[in-house]
Amino acid sequence: MTRALLGAAGLAGSLMLGTTLAFAQVSEIRMIEAGGPSGESIEVGYIKPFTEKTGIRVVRENPAGLGKVRAMVESRNVTAPITELSSSELEQAKALDLLDPLDWDAIDPAPIYEEAIDEYGLGWQYYSTIMAWREGEKPLTSWADMWDVDNFPGARSFPDYPNYILPMALLADGVPVEELYPLDMDRAFAKLEEIKDHVAVWWEAGAQPPQLLQDNEVQYVAAWSGRVTDVEGVEYTFEQGQLDLTYFAIPKGASEEAKEAVYQLMHVMTIAENQAAAADIVSYTGPSQDLDPLLPQDRITKYPTVQQNRDVQFFIDAQWWFDNAEEVELRWQEFKLGL
Amino acid sequence: MAGNVEVAHRVQPTSSRLTLPKLGEGFAQVVPALILILLLFNVPLVIMLGWSFYPLETPLANYEQIFTRSIYLKVIGNTFYIAALTTVACCLLGYPLCYWMWRLSPRWRLIIASIVVLTFWVSILVRTYAWIVILGNDGIVNRLLLTWGLIDSSVSFLYNQTGVIIGTTNVLLPFMVLPLFAAMMRLDRRILLAAETLGAPKGVIFWKIFFPLTLPSLAAGAILIFILTLGFFITPAILGGGRVPMIANMMDLLINRLPRWELAAAISGVLLVFTMIFFAGYQWLNNRQQAS
Repeated sequence: MTRALLGAAGLAGSLMLGTTLAFAQVSEIRMIEAGGPSGESIEVGYIKPFTEKTGIRVVRENPAGLGKVRAMVESRNVTAPITELSSSELEQAKALDLLDPLDWDAIDPAPIYEEAIDEYGLGWQYYSTIMAWREGEKPLTSWADMWDVDNFPGARSFPDYPNYILPMALLADGVPVEELYPLDMDRAFAKLEEIKDHVAVWWEAGAQPPQLLQDNEVQYVAAWSGRVTDVEGVEYTFEQGQLDLTYFAIPKGASEEAKEAVYQLMHVMTIAENQAAAADIVSYTGPSQDLDPLLPQDRITKYPTVQQNRDVQFFIDAQWWFDNAEEVELRWQEFKLGL
Repeated sequence: MAGNVEVAHRVQPTSSRLTLPKLGEGFAQVVPALILILLLFNVPLVIMLGWSFYPLETPLANYEQIFTRSIYLKVIGNTFYIAALTTVACCLLGYPLCYWMWRLSPRWRLIIASIVVLTFWVSILVRTYAWIVILGNDGIVNRLLLTWGLIDSSVSFLYNQTGVIIGTTNVLLPFMVLPLFAAMMRLDRRILLAAETLGAPKGVIFWKIFFPLTLPSLAAGAILIFILTLGFFITPAILGGGRVPMIANMMDLLINRLPRWELAAAISGVLLVFTMIFFAGYQWLNNRQQAS
């Protein structure tokens, strides 16, 4: 009698345990992403098929940033188990011990480029920082042209982020692309000093440069490619652009159920068809190796990773940025103060 | 005789031990609110200031960094400079406005005062962006100046210190105007009337009587504007174009982007001390003005 009771209790207990393990599933996860048209592309390209497949809703929050990740991890309340980080932010987050490693077996990605597979992050979107100008202005062919205010007169707008403008200063000074990294900071800042009087606005939001061009507030900008390739009255070139990869990572302390959902979402992100749908919303590309033929062929030149554009760009060296983050930031602030 | 004097000036017997100040009636009713404020405001503030002393092995490392690396002090200095300019602009613009309002008929006074209050109802963000439309290179002001032939090419009003000060002055002017106007209304007009009947000319009445009486309120408003400008974030961020570094923007970088919270906490501590000193001055001026 007692044994039967014990047996029944044991069975019930293991059934319950099994239930918890097998059916514990979140119904909704939150995602921190950069916002703007990039965020909309995530909604259309990845969240829709993911929710159709698994029934799990994804709520997007924006903007992204290391501050939010640190707040979640330190308060041990990871409300968003998946967060977007730029390449240098990813390195920084790893150093600050803010991330959980990804289980790539669980993600089981479709074929994607090697550089998109990181122990702590999935590289999900290629984007470039390129030159753009107002229609009617003299077209630029190199960063040296951007620095040449005599032949290309007009106000400039540069990013208020050193990792999106310092390498360009070196290129403008004649450093060959192969010798770019490690960056010669003194030379880069000296070159920036030359142009700083002509930089009217140091932009922080991706939407600013095209708006400034349209308002004729400035005539030449360095901007993120997806923001300027589809805008009326704005022309651009990928020549000497900086190709970069942005990642999705998991903050430390996310629950196991949430991580299961995130791995499934990441799998969805590696599928070429989904990336093509996302690329239709904003001109950025996903990491799939089979993506090029699926992109809209009439707009193919707008994408940062198609062969003709890849050939003329250089790739960011995220490790260098991480190693030198503190010094760069200090020198950047000093430079800005001297304005 | 001596006895009478003693009775008249009877001294209170002093007790030998210290007595607590009387808390006053109704203190018990205030306690819940007090606890709420302590828990939700003071405790987090103290915790944040505590962060500035991390890492604990070198508690003053962050403060040392602030005072040795010149850029942090430079940004703080720049912020104080902009705050000073904004305060001066608000005083120069606000005082004549208040004086003019004070001299209007009651009906017009009400109308103008309503207009000033109405600006409070428009969101700061909308007002700041509106300046971009007005002062931009292709904006209303530049276009007018160009058509009238007064300038050859657009003047840069925006994305520099001038733009930031225009924006902050516009937002903070009501903070000067409303208290100053109230102080002027509290003034007894009969004093001025009396001076006039005694033969004083208008200029003397203004400079020797009216102005000194409203000066404490002007000074109190000036300190208030100064303190508010110190913490301003959104207007310098939008109108400065990244070229006008103020403390709040630096804090945004340290908290949201880097993130170096310990250093941000230390800078907050330094700013808090400066602000408390100024606020003490404000309180003292306010008390003097109430007494007058």
